[in-house]
Amino acid sequence: MKYEIKELQTDVLVVGGGVGGLTAAISVKECDPDLSVTIIEKQTTGYAGKANKGGGVLQYFDLSRMTPEEFAEYHVHAIGCFLGDQDLMIKYVSMNNHMFDKMVEWGGKLPKNEDGSYRVMPTGPMTAMITVDLDVTLQFRRTAEKLGVKIFDKVTMSDLLTDKGAVSGATAYSILDGTFYVISAKTVILATGSQNYRIGSMWGSGRGDGIAAAYRSGAQMRNAEFGNFAQLVKIRSHNEVVFGENFMHNRLNENVTQNFRKEREPDISSTAIREWYVQMCEGNGPIHLDYGSQAWGGGERGGHGGGNAKPSYGEKFRMLNMKAAMNIDTDLEVCPLFLGEQSPVKVGHDMQTSISGLFAIGDASYCGSTAPGAVPAPPGRNRGSGILNAVFSGIMCAEGAAKNAKTAAPRVDKSQVEVSLQRTYAPLERKDGCTAKDVIRIIQSAVGPMEQSVYMRADRIAKALDLVLQAKELAKTMKAVDFHDLLACHEAEAMVLSAEMQFRAAEMRKESRGWFLREDYPEMDNDNWLKWIIVKNENGQMTFSTEDVPYEKWAVKPQGK
Amino acid sequence: MIDTKHTILYDSEKCIGCKLCYKACFVDVIRWDETKKQPVFRYVEDCEHCFSCQAVCPKDCITVIPDYSSERLHQTFDCYR
Ligand SMILES: Cc1cc2nc3c(=O)[nH]c(=O)nc-3n(C[C@H](O)[C@H](O)[C@H](O)COP(=O)(O)OP(=O)(O)OC[C@H]3O[C@@H](n4cnc5c(N)ncnc54)[C@H](O)[C@@H]3O)c2cc1C
Ligand code: SF4
Ligand code: SF4
Repeated sequence: MKYEIKELQTDVLVVGGGVGGLTAAISVKECDPDLSVTIIEKQTTGYAGKANKGGGVLQYFDLSRMTPEEFAEYHVHAIGCFLGDQDLMIKYVSMNNHMFDKMVEWGGKLPKNEDGSYRVMPTGPMTAMITVDLDVTLQFRRTAEKLGVKIFDKVTMSDLLTDKGAVSGATAYSILDGTFYVISAKTVILATGSQNYRIGSMWGSGRGDGIAAAYRSGAQMRNAEFGNFAQLVKIRSHNEVVFGENFMHNRLNENVTQNFRKEREPDISSTAIREWYVQMCEGNGPIHLDYGSQAWGGGERGGHGGGNAKPSYGEKFRMLNMKAAMNIDTDLEVCPLFLGEQSPVKVGHDMQTSISGLFAIGDASYCGSTAPGAVPAPPGRNRGSGILNAVFSGIMCAEGAAKNAKTAAPRVDKSQVEVSLQRTYAPLERKDGCTAKDVIRIIQSAVGPMEQSVYMRADRIAKALDLVLQAKELAKTMKAVDFHDLLACHEAEAMVLSAEMQFRAAEMRKESRGWFLREDYPEMDNDNWLKWIIVKNENGQMTFSTEDVPYEKWAVKPQGK
Repeated sequence: MIDTKHTILYDSEKCIGCKLCYKACFVDVIRWDETKKQPVFRYVEDCEHCFSCQAVCPKDCITVIPDYSSERLHQTFDCYR
């Protein structure tokens, strides 16, 4: 092989330059300015992550009206369905105002009232929202650079390196010229986002390659079966319709929302997806939205930061998208679109994974942290929690990450580097083979259909898994033509891995709970399934076990427990 | 989305070489030509019509024209494939 190899050393390596990675890098520097902190980002730090293209909505808790404990109780019943870590949720809510202050300190533009208080829009008895301009990640990047954080763009992590069970760095390569990086680091923070399977047009950058690297290095995964988020979209532009599930009507103009929803719920639920599927199967499709006299309930993308007359960064971007869609969306017919958002890296309250010195934050570990309970990663029935969870976990990991970086220098194992080098460039070295997209297409056909991934049943899960195993075999023969394509091959491998965990874990969980919905096991089963499913790589074998949810130690307990 | 057929129009006359469009693309559609100091739209088939490149361009050089019909949803019912 003829690839240039560069060696780098850093105390703390942050992988991924989205809002989570930037928060972590800044927070570690604030903890200890003497530590060297490096970000590697496969695209461009500040632009690539999802916060730069999302709705800019932040969940706001009015702590003068309710306590964090009260919100946690509401969340357990309405969203998390007893699978969520209540202590972590209480910490997240308690830190709400502190997080906003930090975001503003780092350059985020949050609108304020004349008296200096944040401009808050109430959304329900328990929640409210404020907005942040989408340039938030660019502002954070500037702050990070000022603090001395080094940034390498267009450099993608390939593998994690370990030494006696602790992390010792990572390998990476440039997607521009193929330079191979061997990075020794005492602490590694994974901020690589979720697994989106590249179906939805919602501009999620998550391809799961960070999750896959963690899995390969032996880190445990948790709640992988909750990686099945879907959203209603307009059938032509595929633009999402936030809160559209409240207004679903079938071909006969019957209100079908009332079949699954008796009162207002916080956000889209998998029961809305099931209703769409059932109506379609019964020949009552297509489904359209009819708002009647009700006010339009959308608007996740409506807010803009800044609070002044100048159009915000996000405004121009949103207007272009809306204008293009307006030309084609002639009615309000909708269908579901699979987004995935698997976020399974298992972490504790300090965001450390099961590998010492390896931390995982934001959308990489949302479900793995168990904070949200029985729902997929953001927005997972909790609008405005995505950016804030990334900020929360970025701050939460900093102290432990900094402390760990004070330990003795890790030893980079040359044989691990050699194995990674071979693995990384294998698709380029092959003479011929299938393309990355051949593999991705099969994976998409497994996770995409709602009845396979959202409204599940044993036979349909088996069908999906069968497709995944076909893709897994094919992936062994992928041929890359250049470094852009090489990245696609690695992303395809990560998709195969994510989908396999997802369907195998889904097959195991024989119940319905929260977002997780099975036609063959429609009830929540608190006798057998107050459990988290743990996935682990043991010598190349994907193994599954369960861990009891320690509900005894939390205030809100399931009935009869 | 993969194998999309979105169109990207680029007016090189107006371009001032600020590199913002290159930075803004989150899927590496746009590469940078160091000699000409201009963007190269190299992997258009990976474009996800996010409009970021168009939105950040200070000289309005870029127009993204989505072909929504080239985006596959992978649903069972034929009309939504
Ligand atoms: C359309 C849309 C609208 C949204 N609206 C909202 C909203 O209004 N409010 C809200 O709170 N949340 C919203 N979200 C969710 C929110 O944006 C995310 O939860 C949040 O930004 C996640 O941050 P993150 O840093 O964990 O991950 P990401 O933002 O996904 O960042 C991960 C970064 O890691 C990089 N990366 C991945 N793999 C590698 C690798 N191997 N090597 C190097 N780099 C890598 C990626 O390129 C990316 O830059 C929205 C999301 C989308 C897509
Ligand atoms: S529209 Fe988005 S995905 Fe397409 S080239 Fe521009 S920045 Fe890249
Ligand atoms: S953003 Fe516009 S002006 Fe700047 S390099 Fe790109 S095309 Fe040229």
